[in-house]
Amino acid sequence: MKFRILLIGILIVFISGCEDFLNITPETAVTPQNFFQTQSDFEQAVNGAYAPLQSIYDAQTVFGSGGDWMLAEMRSDNTHFTFNVDNRGAVTSENVATFLVESNNGVVANKYNNNFQIIARANEILSQIDQADFDQSVKDRLKGEALFLRAFAYFDLVRNFGGVPLHLEPSGSLEETSLARSSASDVYDQVITDATSAADLLPSKANQQTGRATSGAAYTLLGDVFLTLERWSDAESALSNVTNYSLLPNYADVFDPANEGNDEMVFEVEFLAGTSQSLHSLFPYHFLPRLNDPSIITGVSPAQLNEGGWNTPTPDLIEAYEDTVQDERYAASIGRYSGSSPITGFTYDRTPYIKKYQHDHPSFGQTEQNWPVYRYAEVLLMMAEAINEQGGRLTEAQGYLNEVRDRTGLNDYTATGQADLRDAIMQERRVELAFENKRWHDLVRTGRAVQVMNDFGERVKANPQDYYYAPGNAPTAASFNVTEDQLLYPIPFREINLNPDLEQNPGY
Amino acid sequence: MKGIMIRTIGILMLVILVTPLMYAQDAQEDNRRRALALSNEDVVQSEVVSDQLKQLIELDLRSAPLEKALQRVAQKAGLKLMYNKQSLPGKYVTIQKKAVTLYDALWEILDDTGLRFALSQNQQLVLMKMKKPSKEVTMETVTGQVTDAQTGDPMPGVNISVLGTTTGTSSGSDGSYSLNVPSLSDTLMFSFIGYQTEQVPINGRTTIDLAMAPQAIQGSDIVVVGYGTQSTRDISGSVQNITSEGLEDLPVAQLGQKLQGKLSGVNINQNTGAPGEGIKVRVRGAASITAGSDPLYVVDGMPITGDISNFNPNEIESISVLKDASATSLYGSRAANGVVLIETKKAVAGQTQVNFNASYGVQQIPQRGRPNVMEADEYAQFQKEIDEFNGRPVDEAFQDPSQYGNGTDWYDAVTEAAPIQDYSLSLSTGTETFSTTAVAGYLNQDGVVIGTGYERYSLRVNTDFQPIDNLNIRFNVAPNVAMNTNSNTDDAPWNGGILSGAVLSTPLAPARNDDGSLPLIAQDPATFGNPNFLRTARERVNDEKETQLLSNAIIEYEILDGLSLKTSGNVDLGSRRFFNFNPSTTGQLFAPPPIIPNGFLLESTYTSWVNENTLTFQRDLGDHSIDALVGATAQKFELNTSEITATNYPDDKVREVSAAGQTTIASDVQEWSLLSYLARVNYSYKDRYLFSASIRRDGSSRFGSNNRWGNFPSVSAGWIISEEPFMPESDLISFLKLRASYGVVGNFSIGNYTHISTISSANYAFGSGLASGRAVDNLGDQGLGWETNKEYNLGLDVNFFDERLQLTYNYYRKNTSDLLYNVEVPLASGFGNIQTNIGELKFWGHEFSVKSFNIENTNLSWSTDFNISFDRNEVVELGTQNAALFSGIAESHITEVGEPIGQFYGLIHDGVYDDQEEFDNSPKHTTSQVGTVKFRDVNGDGIITQDDRTVIGNPHPDFTFGMTNTVRYKNFDFSLTLSGAYGNDIIRLEEQYLTNLDGVFNVLEGLKDRWKSPEDPGDGRYGSVAQGTTFLERDWWNSRFIYDGSNITARNITLGYTLPVSSNSMISRLRFYGSVQNAFIITSYPGPNPEVNTNADTEGGGGDTALGIDQTAYPIPRTVSFGVNLSF
Repeated sequence: MKFRILLIGILIVFISGCEDFLNITPETAVTPQNFFQTQSDFEQAVNGAYAPLQSIYDAQTVFGSGGDWMLAEMRSDNTHFTFNVDNRGAVTSENVATFLVESNNGVVANKYNNNFQIIARANEILSQIDQADFDQSVKDRLKGEALFLRAFAYFDLVRNFGGVPLHLEPSGSLEETSLARSSASDVYDQVITDATSAADLLPSKANQQTGRATSGAAYTLLGDVFLTLERWSDAESALSNVTNYSLLPNYADVFDPANEGNDEMVFEVEFLAGTSQSLHSLFPYHFLPRLNDPSIITGVSPAQLNEGGWNTPTPDLIEAYEDTVQDERYAASIGRYSGSSPITGFTYDRTPYIKKYQHDHPSFGQTEQNWPVYRYAEVLLMMAEAINEQGGRLTEAQGYLNEVRDRTGLNDYTATGQADLRDAIMQERRVELAFENKRWHDLVRTGRAVQVMNDFGERVKANPQDYYYAPGNAPTAASFNVTEDQLLYPIPFREINLNPDLEQNPGY
Repeated sequence: MKGIMIRTIGILMLVILVTPLMYAQDAQEDNRRRALALSNEDVVQSEVVSDQLKQLIELDLRSAPLEKALQRVAQKAGLKLMYNKQSLPGKYVTIQKKAVTLYDALWEILDDTGLRFALSQNQQLVLMKMKKPSKEVTMETVTGQVTDAQTGDPMPGVNISVLGTTTGTSSGSDGSYSLNVPSLSDTLMFSFIGYQTEQVPINGRTTIDLAMAPQAIQGSDIVVVGYGTQSTRDISGSVQNITSEGLEDLPVAQLGQKLQGKLSGVNINQNTGAPGEGIKVRVRGAASITAGSDPLYVVDGMPITGDISNFNPNEIESISVLKDASATSLYGSRAANGVVLIETKKAVAGQTQVNFNASYGVQQIPQRGRPNVMEADEYAQFQKEIDEFNGRPVDEAFQDPSQYGNGTDWYDAVTEAAPIQDYSLSLSTGTETFSTTAVAGYLNQDGVVIGTGYERYSLRVNTDFQPIDNLNIRFNVAPNVAMNTNSNTDDAPWNGGILSGAVLSTPLAPARNDDGSLPLIAQDPATFGNPNFLRTARERVNDEKETQLLSNAIIEYEILDGLSLKTSGNVDLGSRRFFNFNPSTTGQLFAPPPIIPNGFLLESTYTSWVNENTLTFQRDLGDHSIDALVGATAQKFELNTSEITATNYPDDKVREVSAAGQTTIASDVQEWSLLSYLARVNYSYKDRYLFSASIRRDGSSRFGSNNRWGNFPSVSAGWIISEEPFMPESDLISFLKLRASYGVVGNFSIGNYTHISTISSANYAFGSGLASGRAVDNLGDQGLGWETNKEYNLGLDVNFFDERLQLTYNYYRKNTSDLLYNVEVPLASGFGNIQTNIGELKFWGHEFSVKSFNIENTNLSWSTDFNISFDRNEVVELGTQNAALFSGIAESHITEVGEPIGQFYGLIHDGVYDDQEEFDNSPKHTTSQVGTVKFRDVNGDGIITQDDRTVIGNPHPDFTFGMTNTVRYKNFDFSLTLSGAYGNDIIRLEEQYLTNLDGVFNVLEGLKDRWKSPEDPGDGRYGSVAQGTTFLERDWWNSRFIYDGSNITARNITLGYTLPVSSNSMISRLRFYGSVQNAFIITSYPGPNPEVNTNADTEGGGGDTALGIDQTAYPIPRTVSFGVNLSF
């Protein structure tokens, strides 16, 4: 009897493991308990904070997500899209260009969400890095990168959405995930604080790995911010710190992946083809005319996409080139294609497309094309603007402008007054920085967006076939009704739904 | 370890405590014998006994309790035993004989007990109390013999009484009786458990022989419950049991399909007709927001980790569905969605039997429910009108629509009639110490959509060893291999769905060339470049192979009488390989061939082991009966997956991923573990007051360390009122039981690591190098715990007319709190959501089931089973701010507080703006025009925006029901099973394309009636084809997409004929049958399947919040089959 009872006891003890039996951690991911400790951990975390930049500038698919080029270039009068009567699923992407954006627009949400992802990752780094024990100089550099990225993301948010929730610490609980909007000026103050610290902490381009934020990039960002805020002298002093850069002799070379990290490039979003990690870019394909076989232009076959026709240069932009022959930038930037199209009722007849990002790449659909965010030519133009706006230093400002014009084959510009020079700088920006997502912001910050875009809309509606609408098609009556409200994009619907403290922008 | 020691000591103490009780029993024995002493004068040995009763068995019983002795004998004889526990006296039996006939053994065992036995036609040994002969002085004597109407065997123990008196007797061992009656004009009543009670007027006769007709089912079956068995009579929770009988006639692959319409409170929907897929089982409307809601399946005591879609239904002996918390609470943290217990066929000693079942059928898509799209001439006319309306030149192809005729019916082109065949061979044999049952099965089902199909090989061997009397060792091994070639038939057209793409294809393009070859593409000047979907269906490769091995080793040792220890080791192993290859000749909507070939390979293996140790104690002490259980279990699961995405193949010649120009590899490991302790006590007093209490304590790796352990208690009580002395013994109400229960159970169906915030890869590139990056990718919650269900159940079982009408009613109320909820958080936090316990759901419902034996005659019997369930749910609390939850496809569903889960959400379709006047006077969207869709301005702000969305439908049915009628006439049998639902809405998402006004797809014929001009506004359902105005009607969900899915479905009609076989033939049973599955559906739903849910796959990812989506689902075929059952 005793033996039997003992037997039962042994059996039950045998199966009863300890608490360890229940401790199972994932084998395919790292947990925070053993991360954020070493230099390597923080280096990886900083690399991770750059990653959402790729989604912001090249969201791989145009349907419902798109990239910054939709929101900042295609929304302007520089580019439009080829209206594809057969596939109306693209309507939310088109709505960006036709001013019909509603709060559930995925392209807008893509920008909002990815910028906040950068911010969250930067916050995580900044909240932990001081406790870690490793080389201070490395720590400073990593901190600088995190601060730069946070400033960069908040600047992108504030100028597209106005004041946004200001997250400066990682969210650790449910409650901390929902903040109300801060004022735009508070966000700008934070951007300036972060960018200023970043500029101090970051090494110069010569001492930094290609593609990483540098002190030059931080000063350029700061310059851009001050320009947007019309703090001209602050802009000038920030930009004057952007040194040791120079223009490449040939405009087209600047965008060639073979010249990655060239002397003109201040900050770019980097892409890499041929990995299994989907780090390549695709946007050059979106900028082609819609073709069943894009290899006709790219030369990379076999190829099959049927997704082109976006960001198509408008006749207005082509018109803006002073001389399409003399100005080398025209030939470098815009290509033409004639032939049949897969779109019902539409034939390509010298239809323009963006050529400046078309470069050879080894396999279909995977380009290594980086996105140029800031380059020295823009720094020069910003400098020209900052000086011109302060008044009285016309020649000095003109000098910066002509430094840019000098390589294009165009003659020097000789200004007759501040207002003319202002226009000349804007004109130069439009052409020099065409397809670099500058035009819409330039129109907005100079207060011309409503007028320019309404006029543009009227032209499109009057002659839709000139703007790549097949016969019988035109933008709807409601489109291009541009108001002040549309200078900001709507806070994404989902955010408003989930966070009752969040106020929507007017008009949405 | 300290906790474990304490638990162990606790168990030991329990053992010590109960042991003396067992011996205390003996002292009472003598008294009891005296009390039960009965006259044995009418026991006469008869020579007329069946072969079955004459079989020789070996017995070695030493002081075995009566119940045990009987069970032993029955087991040796291969018979099931049926008895009322309370009628067994406390006798101890000793028989030690090498060879004794069953008949003699039974008489010896039952000697002195006042019990009689009889063998019923369904191989049940029925025990019955015999009535004492009346001591009244009487005038007349009636004699006769009672026999079984079906077998002709004499029936001992039948109660024979004079109607309206207490006078009575029971029949002897040869079925004969002799009864003194007051008068020859009285009426005799013959009754016996399992047989239909007969009233026979004496009419002056002195000899009355009677053949009694058996009744199919009795009130006191032993059913499997959690960690044990129980008599249905003693169950105070809510358990429904179903045996495999009658299921074999259904020509379907999956168990779930066979059970449709048969269980109350269990909603089984076939979401898609794809072979071997799409069955969704929901017990009591189980639903969760983000955790899973499938029931837990337990096979032979082992909680399995996957579903049972590849399980061969022919291996099943019985199924118990545990519905309320008191029944399920022994499964603790996994029991919230109900538990389905499956017992496989057991080996039986002393009997050799071979059964062979075969069926062959043809499946066809019924005409009803096929999409009613335009024929070629109508389509060309439609295209012509679009061009004309928009002022475009009419394409040459459409200028003369009448030239085209019918054109290609693409739905027809990609579907076909397909065979289904099912074979099953089972063999069971055994001796005293060893018995085994083997079931081998093969099923082959071709799909009605070209390219699809399902094939299954299965084997099960269940073996029992009994080396010594109190030790039982069982081994069950069941491998199966299932293969399918189902492609993504049900998917959206943009995801490559074959059916959805095919119906949209232009009817102008041929599916086949004149020479029989298949064109590559199907397009016309108006459509996208589209593939020929027939060719894609044929040439796209989808090979999926799943293998599974279920095995159990179970050792049961009876330490003392009534105290046994059971230890089991169970292993569930499986692997899956899925290979997909899209050759250059295939394509999908918008992406016509030739494409660059691509492929995908997924390989996964899983291992799950369970160890369970239980100690049970069972004892009757006078009026008290106790049944207790303690146990401990441990389970661990591991899944390894690797997948390869292969692109840029140079050509179609080599399909393996190694031939691809580029591959991407991903791999994953998923593990969880569960440690549990459990205890239960069932107690009954006087066999009419029933109590049960249980508790399980679960610790799971899936939860945060702060909230890892959970306790799941339950209590229940039952009162068998019909046993009370104050209840008159009557045939009107022959059985009446009230039940009530309360229990707490949990739901742990979430991801394995959701409580841990993880850091995943987030790579970037610098220069020409990859920069390894990492980022925190979710917010973990160390407080994450169980989803807790508190459930009340009230039940009533009442049998009328001597069990001929049996009614069961249950009311339940369940509150799910601490919802495992993937709370969406603002993305401004950097995260999309956090898995936490927030929110509360409420469920309640009524379930009725009725079983009625309408006619019970020797030649004719007819019984009806009917069940109906009313299940309701309501969201009580959601997330932090009670923010509504949107789900489905493009926010087609909304879940909000105070409403049922996942209602359809959208605008209200109010026709079209017929003319300028209507347009001017109505609220409109910025893009609206005369002739475009008109939505209702729900918020009254004068304009139409997304803010005018509201609830436009509810996918949950008001009630579901099922009914089975079974009729036997002589050797014929007939059964009809109906099932259905009322009040469920469906969103026919496929109409987003099928009513597309842009003219890029083929469309529903109804579009001919669209708005064309103010003079010809059509029927108000479809708007104008004005370019650039069509997206509102197409993209904004609105009430036009919502349909009523109420239906009555004839699940199965079977007609069978059993050939009479002589008793000395080798064949013991031969039956032929014809069966029609899904014979017809009565519904107003225009699609083929009112149970559709093409979004069902997203289990645990919001599947329950997005029910009722029809995205051109795989139709459910009508299957006509013929089969044979053969036994030796």
